Amino acid sequence: MATDEVRWVAEARRGDRNAFRRLVEAYSRALFALCLRITRDSTMAEDAVQEALFNAYRHLGDFDGRSSFKTWLHRIAVNAALEQLRRNGKHGVTFSDASPDDDGEDFLASRADEAPTPDRHALGGEIGRQIEDQLARMSTLERTAFVMRHHEGQSLETIAETLSLNISASKQAIFRAVRKLRGALEPLR
Amino acid sequence: MNTISDNDLILYFYRDGLDAARIGEIDDALFASPDLRARYTRLQQMLHAVDADPAPEPDAQFNERVWQRLDARIAALDPAAPATGWRVRLFDTLHSLLVPRAAFAAACMLLLAIGVGFYAGRSTAPQPDEIAQTRANAMATRVLDAYVAEHLRATEGLLLTAVNSDDAGLVGNRDLAASLVDSNRLYAQAATRSGNARLADFLRQLEPVLLELANQSPDTSVQSIDGLRDYLKKTDLLFQVRATQARIDATGKHST
Repeated sequence: MATDEVRWVAEARRGDRNAFRRLVEAYSRALFALCLRITRDSTMAEDAVQEALFNAYRHLGDFDGRSSFKTWLHRIAVNAALEQLRRNGKHGVTFSDASPDDDGEDFLASRADEAPTPDRHALGGEIGRQIEDQLARMSTLERTAFVMRHHEGQSLETIAETLSLNISASKQAIFRAVRKLRGALEPLR
Repeated sequence: MNTISDNDLILYFYRDGLDAARIGEIDDALFASPDLRARYTRLQQMLHAVDADPAPEPDAQFNERVWQRLDARIAALDPAAPATGWRVRLFDTLHSLLVPRAAFAAACMLLLAIGVGFYAGRSTAPQPDEIAQTRANAMATRVLDAYVAEHLRATEGLLLTAVNSDDAGLVGNRDLAASLVDSNRLYAQAATRSGNARLADFLRQLEPVLLELANQSPDTSVQSIDGLRDYLKKTDLLFQVRATQARIDATGKHST
């Protein structure tokens, strides 16, 4: 797969649209999942994928191979998703927006003595819904930083670079996002 | 042990943002402190619960839909590059015979062919063979449809770029817009001649917008560019282009 990908990228850079189509087929569904997690809207996510792939095609010549093609493409997709939110007026919440979850105090200790029970495991579907709610409560940048770190496995450095933040701000975004997630489990205890 | 915060545990979970020495300290502290282990377990449970949320999946036609739109936009970006659809491949052979102003030249040839075909069939044959004429008309319509579908794909790409790109990108497409104006006019004439008034009317509606895009220049004011974008958004022109394209594609499939 890696060899094929290198070949497709090289051929696509020379203008071979069939090769680029291979790359699109390989990555578009994963890009959709990423963009939907950020935008929370399937139409915006699809438009973001479209824009990301179009931008990727236009800038294939800039891909220098220092990161993997997937990482490069996913970074473009993150920015395309944020752009969709901006265009649709849903990017208003920024890092400066404080919330009661942003107190910076430790929150794990208060529930640390509770062990998971079989009943709680049985409520997996409900937990999923609660997590959805909590993800929706996050600011765009908190959610984006969390999605990149948790779901995409991107480093803080990459997150900072993609979101034009410093490392400290990226960390703070992830800390706040994780704090907000605790609300997903509390109603079930 | 309280020197290890929840934030440290979050970074420890991801093994990111901590140096090796700090990771070692947290390892030791987790081994030594049941309370810290309980806190870390709590964090793990929470983050693993997030993993239980399945990755969102698009519908089955997603890949094809994305590629169709993308291919049109790429074609608009670089009209000389070969496209990948079957219809495009079929007509590449014809296009390869044409000069760089391919769209315009193809439209001219098409107009001529349709004109000759229709008038020859109707007026010069001493005893017209109705079946042959019907076939000729159907073939002419299919050829027109195929060319117009390609024209609309290129137009869709142009309009998408106009709506989405920065001002420089919009101005950079004016040559393409100018070539589409010429071919659009000829396709509208061809559609009229072949009796497809609906298509002809629609193509005529496109002309002012194509002209506007062809006349963009680096000196064009921001207000003017924004006005054009607003117009495109408000009139649903992009949607109408896609709908017409889909209708032509569907007609082509039924007739083959």
